[in-house]
Amino acid sequence: MTNHPSRGDRPVEPLVFEKHVAGAYGVDFPPLDVPETPVPHRVAGSGVPLPSIGQHDVMAHYTHLSDRNFSVDGNFYPLGSCTMKHNPRINEWAASLPGFSCLHPLQDEDCIQGALRLLYETRTMLEEISGLHEVSLQPAAGAHGEFTALKVIRAFFTDHGQPQRTVVLAPDTAHGTNPASCTMCGASVKQVRTIDGHTDLEHLQEVIAEVGPENVAAFMITNPSTAGLFDPSIKEMAEIVHGAGAKVYLDGANMNALLGRVKPGDFGADAMHYNTHKTFSTPHGGGGPGSGPIAVTEELAPYLPVPQVMMADDGSFYLDRDREKSIGKVRSFFGQFGVLVRCWTYISACGPEGLRHVAETAVLNANYLAVRLQEVYDMPYFAPEKGAFCAHEFVSVPQTLLDKGVTLIDIAKRMIDYGVHPPTMHWPIHDCLMVEPTETESKHALDQFVDVMLQIANEIDQEIACVKNAPLVSDIARADEVGAARKPVLVWND
Amino acid sequence: MDYTQITDAQHEEMLSIIGIDHVDRLFDVIPESIRCQEGLDLSPPQSELELQRSLTEMASHNVGAHNMVCFMGCGAYDHFYPALIDQLISRGEFLTSYTPYQAEASQGTLQAFFEFQTQIAQVTGLEIANSSLYDGATAVAEAAILAVNTTRRHTVLVASTMHPEYLAVLRTCLADLHVNITMLTATNGKVLPETVREEMSDDIAAVIVQSPNIWGQIEDWDGCFEVTHEDAKTLAVAVFNPIACGLLKTPGECGADLAAGEGQPLGNALNFGGPYLGLLAAKEKFVRKMPGRLVGMTKDEDGRRVFCLTLQTREQHIRGAKATSNVCTNQGLIALRASMFMTTVGREGLTEVASHCWHKAHYLAEQITAIDGWELTFDGDFFNEFTVNCPVDVTHIVDSGKERGVLVGVAANGRRMRKLSEGNELIIAVTEKRTRHEMDALVSLLKELST
Ligand SMILES: Cc1ncc(COP(=O)(O)O)c(C=O)c1O
Repeated sequence: MTNHPSRGDRPVEPLVFEKHVAGAYGVDFPPLDVPETPVPHRVAGSGVPLPSIGQHDVMAHYTHLSDRNFSVDGNFYPLGSCTMKHNPRINEWAASLPGFSCLHPLQDEDCIQGALRLLYETRTMLEEISGLHEVSLQPAAGAHGEFTALKVIRAFFTDHGQPQRTVVLAPDTAHGTNPASCTMCGASVKQVRTIDGHTDLEHLQEVIAEVGPENVAAFMITNPSTAGLFDPSIKEMAEIVHGAGAKVYLDGANMNALLGRVKPGDFGADAMHYNTHKTFSTPHGGGGPGSGPIAVTEELAPYLPVPQVMMADDGSFYLDRDREKSIGKVRSFFGQFGVLVRCWTYISACGPEGLRHVAETAVLNANYLAVRLQEVYDMPYFAPEKGAFCAHEFVSVPQTLLDKGVTLIDIAKRMIDYGVHPPTMHWPIHDCLMVEPTETESKHALDQFVDVMLQIANEIDQEIACVKNAPLVSDIARADEVGAARKPVLVWND
Repeated sequence: MDYTQITDAQHEEMLSIIGIDHVDRLFDVIPESIRCQEGLDLSPPQSELELQRSLTEMASHNVGAHNMVCFMGCGAYDHFYPALIDQLISRGEFLTSYTPYQAEASQGTLQAFFEFQTQIAQVTGLEIANSSLYDGATAVAEAAILAVNTTRRHTVLVASTMHPEYLAVLRTCLADLHVNITMLTATNGKVLPETVREEMSDDIAAVIVQSPNIWGQIEDWDGCFEVTHEDAKTLAVAVFNPIACGLLKTPGECGADLAAGEGQPLGNALNFGGPYLGLLAAKEKFVRKMPGRLVGMTKDEDGRRVFCLTLQTREQHIRGAKATSNVCTNQGLIALRASMFMTTVGREGLTEVASHCWHKAHYLAEQITAIDGWELTFDGDFFNEFTVNCPVDVTHIVDSGKERGVLVGVAANGRRMRKLSEGNELIIAVTEKRTRHEMDALVSLLKELST
């Protein structure tokens, strides 16, 4: 076992492979209770070289690893666009009920009425929140929802004799998944300029004219925008897009700011996705799983993926697998069921007033932070004196601080020393911090965050080295990411 | 309860610091005409106690592997997993963290994913693996897209014995990408290498074969992939079951270039079909074409071994439309479960699980085929799942099983899955969880139903 030096007193956690002890095992099995059948040589493999360790070592290993992570539970985690809100444990409790977690996906409908009812209710709740006609719960994440909805839109146009509509427009500040999803659907993307975080309507018209209105499939827009601003001209935008005969796609990543206040269907969205792992409090799990239900208008509904959960006249539930115009299947079985159980639980806990209060508080918290920080952290779009507020998140380009000789990364890494997870960086505009506190933080936590940010600004004035060399107190110093990409080591080798 | 924590007094104080008299001012920029005029039409909020009641009630309207004996498989298996997994995975440090973009705040997740990638490479016998995709079906689609992008060819050959849901997803994903799917027909439940040869042409990006296949049959990966590689450019894609790798030849041993599979059997509950775990492993030369996140080993400024996300220029947040995939949120926590499972059972444990599946499935097959009128549909090798021709209506068997608390298997006639056959076959899966007693009871039931 290699012994790497660590900061502080804590040793580096060895890899499980380095802890391997021949003959060790973490769990045992009952004796085989049937006669053996020999495995013929033609199919037998030579075994796999997995590591083996004892059970207590398993516990220690993962406990040590968990100790080396920031999390919403333990840290302020203001990642813009990611909505790192509190993850209620009743959601976890619900998903682990054996009556949900032990269902085989191919069981007969009469065995799974409770599960189907939960799916059906989730579907209708998400329809109501979107103001759109029909929801599909199939997509596995937001990006998968984008892909699915774009497929639906393309199928609609093909069915209506307009297969040439293969161009998708998106603002230059769009999330990376937007253009990437277009590619996965065989569509091409055209960027539309933004000015101060808002889509430039004139440029939108120009681009439509340039590619030919008859070739445009959709315009993908995020509202509040990826810069965290409500778009006052969203309806005009939708009218322009509809005028070209195309569809409006809403990237619903920022739905947390709209809940109960604005329904996407009311501003002209034809299709949208939710990220349940953002808006509806299902945990991010270090990268997933999430889920990305989509909502669409009545004219797009026939093209939704199969199966669809339905309620029969007698009040029982079933899965409709025969939709003649459906784009088909986008995932095996019925989507991220366990995540949808959590989503149902959260929406049911909040109720209609609660959801509206969520949006209100998310926006209040963000504006409060922005006001308290704006003198030190420059904010290009934030000017409350002129009525220019932010929505649920705000963008800072702390140029004044950067001019003093630190980089954005320095500031971010110093935040880690203070136990705060750095905000989203470098997106939606270059060299920015995008802060999204969410509604679940207490005022005390918000104030502490302000203190940390002001303290870092102070340090930049007075002892810049501790910012430039940050992180100072975390387990590790800055990781060499350039080196990692130059010579990738993706698996452990003896 | 909406989980907010700002009191009314704090709310007022914050408004005054912002310099407004009402929170509505923050929403004034939204045009009146698009604001909700009425509240949402949703049920009133439920307290946690009420939620526990209503969820318990809803869950009680389901029966499943917790109160039935489950012989159903076809892509989702009722395996055992150690209790410690649920305990460890609930740690908020894992559960409530985000994608580990900030290496210095995420070494735990990063190291765990690095270990996962290594374990998947070890299990598949390939050189690298990514840190997860949505599920087995989308992993197969991503593998096909990788092959198409690497070879710049436009046809994939797919075994007709692949899981029908995987095929359906593959069709959807390839539909707008100008890629043709040619089906490899099966002979006696398997694809013959000769069949692959007949379909080969100079436009084949990949040959995709699942083993064990939807009927439970072990395919001839060796033979099929040898033919595949007669064309140096064509990629051999093995669609695999990670548990089977503990006993049978791995994708790597059979010459696969890529291995895609469903990771659900590795420590994950059935969950009514999700969240599951897409696995993708590859030969190292495809590393820059891989979809999804990759964790790499590197050093920090003090020379300490650390981990970080790497080769991000493949990914959507850097590369946009030219990314290798649009995947962003993946199945991180399920990958961690799988890794915990592999760590806990270890080298011998995986082989033991796989052997138990094998021996029990073969015992049950022997017992069933000893009943008059029951026979195996195919005579090839199988692992943990096999197909039988029923002498009586398969629907009757499935229904009677339910009445006796047994999920007897999956009917191939399209009752719950896309139709596989016009016939009367039943696909039966056996995991290490099934006891001899449960199997003998199933045999008696089938005997009784066939007289
Ligand atoms: C604006 C925006 N769009 C799309 C996505 C993609 O969603 P997901 O990660 O769920 O695939 C994200 C999430 O990171 C996002 O912030």
